Amino acid sequence: MSVLALNNIHRSFEPGVPVLAGVDLTVNGGEVVGLLGRNGAGKTTLIHIAMGMLRQQEGTVEVFGLDPHEQPVEVKRRVGFVSENQNLPAFLKVREVIELHRALFETWDDEMAGRLVDRFGLRPGARIKNLSKGQARQVALLCALCHRPELLLLDEPAGGLDALARREFLEASIQTLSDTGTTIVYSSHYLSDVERLAGRVVMLHDTKVLIDNSIDELHESFSIAFVPHRPQGTSEALLALPECLGVRVRTDAVHAVFRLDPDDACALITEKLGVSDAMCRTAGLEEMFIEIAGGER
Amino acid sequence: MLIVVNPSSGVPVFRQVMDQVRFHIASGLLEPGDELPPTRSLSAELGVNPMTISKAYNLLERDGVLERRPGRPLVVAKLDPTDLDLEKLDQLRASLADAARAAHQLGVDTREAVRVFRELLECDDKEK
Repeated sequence: MSVLALNNIHRSFEPGVPVLAGVDLTVNGGEVVGLLGRNGAGKTTLIHIAMGMLRQQEGTVEVFGLDPHEQPVEVKRRVGFVSENQNLPAFLKVREVIELHRALFETWDDEMAGRLVDRFGLRPGARIKNLSKGQARQVALLCALCHRPELLLLDEPAGGLDALARREFLEASIQTLSDTGTTIVYSSHYLSDVERLAGRVVMLHDTKVLIDNSIDELHESFSIAFVPHRPQGTSEALLALPECLGVRVRTDAVHAVFRLDPDDACALITEKLGVSDAMCRTAGLEEMFIEIAGGER
Repeated sequence: MLIVVNPSSGVPVFRQVMDQVRFHIASGLLEPGDELPPTRSLSAELGVNPMTISKAYNLLERDGVLERRPGRPLVVAKLDPTDLDLEKLDQLRASLADAARAAHQLGVDTREAVRVFRELLECDDKEK
């Protein structure tokens, strides 16, 4: 059974301006899904809908086979959630926030909580209101991880953390994965972290899921073609090719992203457009993201 | 065991791990019977998803490079000497592929390219 199943989700905040229009996403147990998209692409909206914090206008949501609106307590007991602008009670001390969560969750793991307090260098007696943004985020992460949830929904969990704190968080997540095989869905703009942690990448673009592939497929079976400016190799001609995901016209060449490995992409461009000196190669996620998000289609 | 990965290189991490294990075996750094670090500790050390490491290990096991025995760590399999020689040449071929491409792009002819390679080899020998 899938852990999370979103079917045909539609949501807009203003009439006629959809944020999500027909989004499908099914996540199975043990998967780690990196949710990508530009600011405003609907990542937070999608995560809030999965959490039952926001209602979809069309479509269905199931978490562990349950409707998060109908059975919110049962669902939240088994989900860990961290969002970018999560507010912890400002007047409480770190120790008290941890105690509060410990009392709420039967599955709370004291040993893990102690380890993370040390690892993040948190001072149990410090008041939340006196913490930096990054430290407050680490408290929130600790609370989300230590009840050993079956599903972690993380909305930009590393935003505002310094490079070392981000790595500590990454390692804590990896440890959780090794220990319990938790399912994770998380949005992030740190694409190198996504490359380390995610097994699968879902990119939201123009209200829809544009890409849903394993990270290995993205690295091996997608490529960027650099096509020298030629009358036959225009952006329109490239876009008309069925496997082309988007093009970006630059001064050096037309950059086109293909859902093909480099050899096949070059062969296709030679065969269909008669341009034989295109250069095709694979790319890391950041470069791929820029080419796709910044391009036309 | 020295394994370094660059997750943003555009080469899948599982493949980087596989390539480096094979290289270490071909170079003799890893010998038959040597134990591989457990999935859990290697994934923690490299800061990558444990599934990525198990994927690399499983594929190496399928290829007969590693051996899994129940309840014991993974070890390097015994390779027969001809296979080891072939593996060494495969590794060298992989490293030289980029150089060959560069020679073509630069328009350096085969004789010149071979001369440069010989020079580099001799230079390396002298340093040792």
